Amino acid sequence: MFKYQFRWDIVSGDNLDFLMSGLQMTLIVSAITLVLAMIAGLVIALLDMSRFPPARWVGVTFGEIIRNTPILVQLLWVYYVLPIVFGVRIESLTALIVGLSLYQGAFISEVYRSGIQSVPRGHSEAAQVLGLSPLQNFMRIVLPQAIRMTLPPLASNFVQLIKFSSLGAVISVSEITRRGMELSSTTFRPLEIFTFIAVVYFVICWPLAMGIRVWEAKLRNR
Amino acid sequence: MAATPIIVAENVSKRFGENQVLTRVSLPVMERDVVCVVGPSGSGKTTLLRCLALLEVPSEGRVVMQGLPISTPERSKQVRSAARAVRSDIGMVFQHFNLWPHMSVLENLIEAPVRVKKLPKSEAVAIAEKLLAKVDLLDKRNAYPGRLSGGQQQRVAIARALAMSPKVLLFDEATSALDPELRREVLLVMRQLAQEGMTMLVVTHEMGFARQVGTRTVFMDKGEIVEEAPGAAFFEKPKTERAQRFLQQFEE
Ligand SMILES: Nc1ncnc2c1ncn2[C@@H]1O[C@H](COP(=O)(O)OP(=O)(O)OP(=O)(O)O)[C@@H](O)[C@H]1O
Ligand SMILES: [Mg+2]
Repeated sequence: MFKYQFRWDIVSGDNLDFLMSGLQMTLIVSAITLVLAMIAGLVIALLDMSRFPPARWVGVTFGEIIRNTPILVQLLWVYYVLPIVFGVRIESLTALIVGLSLYQGAFISEVYRSGIQSVPRGHSEAAQVLGLSPLQNFMRIVLPQAIRMTLPPLASNFVQLIKFSSLGAVISVSEITRRGMELSSTTFRPLEIFTFIAVVYFVICWPLAMGIRVWEAKLRNR
Repeated sequence: MAATPIIVAENVSKRFGENQVLTRVSLPVMERDVVCVVGPSGSGKTTLLRCLALLEVPSEGRVVMQGLPISTPERSKQVRSAARAVRSDIGMVFQHFNLWPHMSVLENLIEAPVRVKKLPKSEAVAIAEKLLAKVDLLDKRNAYPGRLSGGQQQRVAIARALAMSPKVLLFDEATSALDPELRREVLLVMRQLAQEGMTMLVVTHEMGFARQVGTRTVFMDKGEIVEEAPGAAFFEKPKTERAQRFLQQFEE
């Protein structure tokens, strides 16, 4: 029989404040990383689609390496290896943001690419026949449609980032998971604390994910 | 006085890899001509039209517009600048309309006049409204293409092409994607254009239209022009056996 005495009051007062400041860090890291990842994704996508073979090679290789190695290993690599290679100490927070941005950027570049490819060729051919320049064609016909297609996947990326940012715990970034680890080692109450943290992640991520699903369905029915 | 054609395909051949799709096709289109191109599926009709619309580059031969080459396999600087100059004189209507779904009907119509011809917006809107009235869709000016029927979308696409005042209008099976009951409204617009003297090159499976409206019928098969006859003559007395066989399909 399960005879555990729950002590939910552990998650209150100062302890709660401690965890909530971790949550704040989680959300800040996720938001900053999303912005950087969108930029990194754009760079990777442009490299991938470049007419210049070496650029394409760099973009594709980078993307493949990032997408086919574990994010945890990448974070450890950025945190421990980069400083050795470049001889500079990297703050754990910087390492987390850089690592997550590159990781997520590699996926976002695919989102961009499929957004652009989702615009039927005929739409830009019609524009071409009407005399729009390739730049006008991209900016006026392709991009507005592609962006509409990429917004929901980008939002899904934000949800993923919130979850992935918990990996910051292993390189001691004081986001909510790390705070939980610290708190449970002083209170010896991991069950309450990690259950609470799981619920916090769920309460944030689930409504976002549902909202995105509704949004996607709406876009599809336009 | 020999008139110069508006647009001519001169010995145009097109290959996609090993696949020879067009073989030395020559086709002049004179002012006010309504040339109807018919032929079995896969005979290269769309490819020919796309060459004339500068969406494909011929493997051999060239496209000439009012005396100037605008498309050649080499695509020299001179040819490209000639092409840019006449780009908006060639309009095209596609089988699948290709309206831009993120723009309203009116925005679809004024996009090219404003961006390419640099017309003031008010002027472009005035032209667009006149054209929408002509295709009987003025009440849909603020609707998005997704809310229109196929026939309405195709009429908008025709108006969008007309907004650039092209010298020649290319139609690629403009009614094939439509339900039979929606075809008539599009064919009526095309017929009206022909009556107004628009120069048209029409790829179609609508034999009635070719017969009644076309000034010339061109029969293509396997990438070649097999037979060419003025107006209805092709339908009354097809000369080649291939054309006779092709026309038999439409008899029942
Ligand atoms: N971009 C392309 N790449 C390779 N092959 C092509 C391409 N476009 C057309 N083809 C081939 O060229 C041939 C002629 O095609 P085309 O579309 O011009 O025929 P069509 O006469 O318009 O036929 P339909 O009546 O079915 O529209 C076909 O065999 C087609 O597979
Ligand atoms: Mg075709």
